[in-house]
Amino acid sequence: MMRRRALLGGLGAGLAFAPQAPAWAKLFSVERRRAETFTLANGLQVVVLPSTRAPIVTQLVIYKVGSADEVFGKTGIAHFLEHMMFKGTATVAPAEFSRTVSKNGGRDNAYTTYDSTGYYQTVAPDRLDLVMRMEADRMTGLRITEKELIPERQVVLEERRMRTENSPSALLDEAVSEQLFGRHKPYGMPVSGYVEDVKRLTVADLMAFYGKYYAPNNAILIVAGDTTVEQVRKLAEKYYGPLAARKVEPRRRPDAGAADLPQRTIRADARVAEPRWSRHYLAPSYAKGLTQHAYALQVLARLLGGGETSRLWRALVVDRKLGLSAWASYSPTSLGLTSFDLGVHPASTSPMAEVESAVGGQLGKLIDEGVTAEEVERAQNRLLAAAIYAQDSLASGPRTYGATLAIGGTMADIDAWPQRIAAVTPADVVAAARHVWRPDGLVTAMLTPQGGAR
Amino acid sequence: MIVSRRLLAALAAVMLWLPAAAGAVDIKAVTTPLGLKAWLVQDKSAPVVSLSFSFAGGAASDPKGQSGVTNLMATLLTDGAGPLAFQAFQRRQEDAAASLGFSTSLDRLMGTLRVLSVNREEGFELLRLALTEPRFDADMVEQRRAQIVAALNQAKERPASVAARTLMATEFAGHPYGNDPDGTADDLKTLTPPILKQRAGALLMRSGLLVAAVGDIDEAELGRLLDRAFGSLPLGAPLPLPSEWQPPTRPRTVVVERAVPQSTALMALPGIARDDPDWYAALALNHILGGGGQQSRLFSEVREKRGLAYGASSTLRVYRKAALLVISTASANERIAEALRVVRAELARLRTDGPTEQEFVDAKTYLTGALALSLDSSSAVANLLHSMQVDNLPPDHLTRRAALIGAVKIDDVRRIARRLLHDEATTTVVVGKPVGITADP
Repeated sequence: MMRRRALLGGLGAGLAFAPQAPAWAKLFSVERRRAETFTLANGLQVVVLPSTRAPIVTQLVIYKVGSADEVFGKTGIAHFLEHMMFKGTATVAPAEFSRTVSKNGGRDNAYTTYDSTGYYQTVAPDRLDLVMRMEADRMTGLRITEKELIPERQVVLEERRMRTENSPSALLDEAVSEQLFGRHKPYGMPVSGYVEDVKRLTVADLMAFYGKYYAPNNAILIVAGDTTVEQVRKLAEKYYGPLAARKVEPRRRPDAGAADLPQRTIRADARVAEPRWSRHYLAPSYAKGLTQHAYALQVLARLLGGGETSRLWRALVVDRKLGLSAWASYSPTSLGLTSFDLGVHPASTSPMAEVESAVGGQLGKLIDEGVTAEEVERAQNRLLAAAIYAQDSLASGPRTYGATLAIGGTMADIDAWPQRIAAVTPADVVAAARHVWRPDGLVTAMLTPQGGAR
Repeated sequence: MIVSRRLLAALAAVMLWLPAAAGAVDIKAVTTPLGLKAWLVQDKSAPVVSLSFSFAGGAASDPKGQSGVTNLMATLLTDGAGPLAFQAFQRRQEDAAASLGFSTSLDRLMGTLRVLSVNREEGFELLRLALTEPRFDADMVEQRRAQIVAALNQAKERPASVAARTLMATEFAGHPYGNDPDGTADDLKTLTPPILKQRAGALLMRSGLLVAAVGDIDEAELGRLLDRAFGSLPLGAPLPLPSEWQPPTRPRTVVVERAVPQSTALMALPGIARDDPDWYAALALNHILGGGGQQSRLFSEVREKRGLAYGASSTLRVYRKAALLVISTASANERIAEALRVVRAELARLRTDGPTEQEFVDAKTYLTGALALSLDSSSAVANLLHSMQVDNLPPDHLTRRAALIGAVKIDDVRRIARRLLHDEATTTVVVGKPVGITADP
């Protein structure tokens, strides 16, 4: 849950903060076998996902930079900069970018995560030229003025109030991240930054960050929909081709999580009406740690807490009636370490301690007695089925490709996903669980009404 | 295992398949052998069948003292049916990679089915079971009731949910639309399996049924499967519609105190019916005021120029017996009063001066193009087809829509602005600790 919440929607006023669907389930975009990739001379990687299902086309540009590339004292830059990217260049006036997309019958938005920042538009095919021209223009031509910065800073702070400060559960997630990944460490700080930092960021801070990371050789261009590889190649050469490459420092992520921080966090909040219990383990991703466990962990999350036939649901909700719901989740698309999360919404009469011990019993049982071939297969089937359905949606493909490529994954990794999921054995699942469910890399979190009556 | 082979086979098929040519959405009106009516878009571009359907009568027709009964009943339809208890029913869905769900709006009971076309027999068989032999097992009734009560509690801690609920309760006070579709904890406690069974019998009937299907299926096959799933339901007679709604006649401000740093505000004005001749002019007006995205006046004045909020938007809501124009924003407690002053000023300005020529032209271009943006999956197209039927539109509406928008004149938008954007009957709800906003008694 925590990592999902870390994704900040951009300018999209009124957009709900929708949690990401299971990340790798989306890897099959429409006609994934027809995805093609090439790289321009200046280092811009281009991916084309043609589909003629509807007369629309989506452009997504992802920069390999996110909030985890900030330092304490200057947090919030990546996200603030994402907002300022809509404030004009030498040729496009402030706010004109989105207005132009809209008046051409399209939609646009942007988002910031720990590891990447994305900008996207969906338009009619004959407007692809327009949005590629404008997106290329702001890749190196951004202008930020004090006049535009001042009101936008308030917008960024209002966004944080809406998503985080108004929500006890989101505040608890921030505490969990800090205790799991470390105080003032890349994933231990909020994506939107600390308020005190955001209040102090200057035009010079934002422009320095922009100059350091926004370059064609640090970006991925993904175009999906009603277009062709030839068409995209022509437009990419025309608009992005002339931009100069820049030297970009390699990104680093810590090899370990927090040391010496408490393994438990409790938020008692008068605003809370329903309690929450959750457990968060430090886990390897596709890019960091013992990455060989990344596929088995996806199967583990599914069979442990994916839906109402999962182990946790049956044990906690159906059999013992300690919880109203139970879940587990794991997202491997992270440049650094990630987390394996599980949780329970306790029933009104259930003491937290009893819930915790019942969950502990289930985890221990899985390690001791293993998992059956049948339940592994069901989990695999559900992952594969979700991937098939993801092919039915034009919207889900580009972002998933982008998330994978932005952390150093390859097109071959994306293609091999179903085979790698299908190859997971019951022994792999137990080995992955044993590796991740360690006593030294975890945080247990509880949300209770004030006084913690339960 | 069989399950695995079937899915892997389907996966392999997807990898080989080539997309169909792009084209307009071709809607066929289908009549089944048993006389059921449905709309179909045959689309071989994904190995999937998506169904979107609904029955007349929703939460607004919950009997007195049984608020939430339609919603709880709808939830339980997929919690066990025929010989299959909950876990078995779930497993059958998972094994077929089928997803079946029901939900409730104020006016209708809605359902969706999504299944791989290779597993369509099983998908429609599960649908038949859910519609005709739901079990309402006592343990599942208890579990779902507890979850709904907890969700009602949880909603009370979310300012946006509190604002939404309070707005409906205030705007529709004394009318069935004012009731929470999820019900009240007290009413939910009184609901028993026989009551739920009775409610299912009162709503699940062929009269008033609307069905839309999209995907890799032809007319004859769809007809056969629809007859199987829906054919044994009684013809029945639809429940009476809710009574007429009288819009408020004076402005009203409601403040709900919550210990949060940001106040959430909603403002409702009487809206416009879907069949009103000025509907498309109203769509353009809403786009200019606060619809669409970052081009609107509210976005520009509240967010861009003054940084007063992350979001400021407006939307047209249409119910069977009412219509609203709803504006929403959220701002720090100290600044929410100013944000609302800016919103009111924009309403007045648009009402008095109308839109600029440029705003008007841009709105029409956007509205014409925006429809295609939403056609990105089978289920999205099925939902569109279904909502067209709810709105009483003809199957060829999509080909006529551009002309309908094109025919709107700027004077039409000026007229509809004068009609809709007035302060006399505005209901404002603010949730938080707003400074400088006084509630009306």
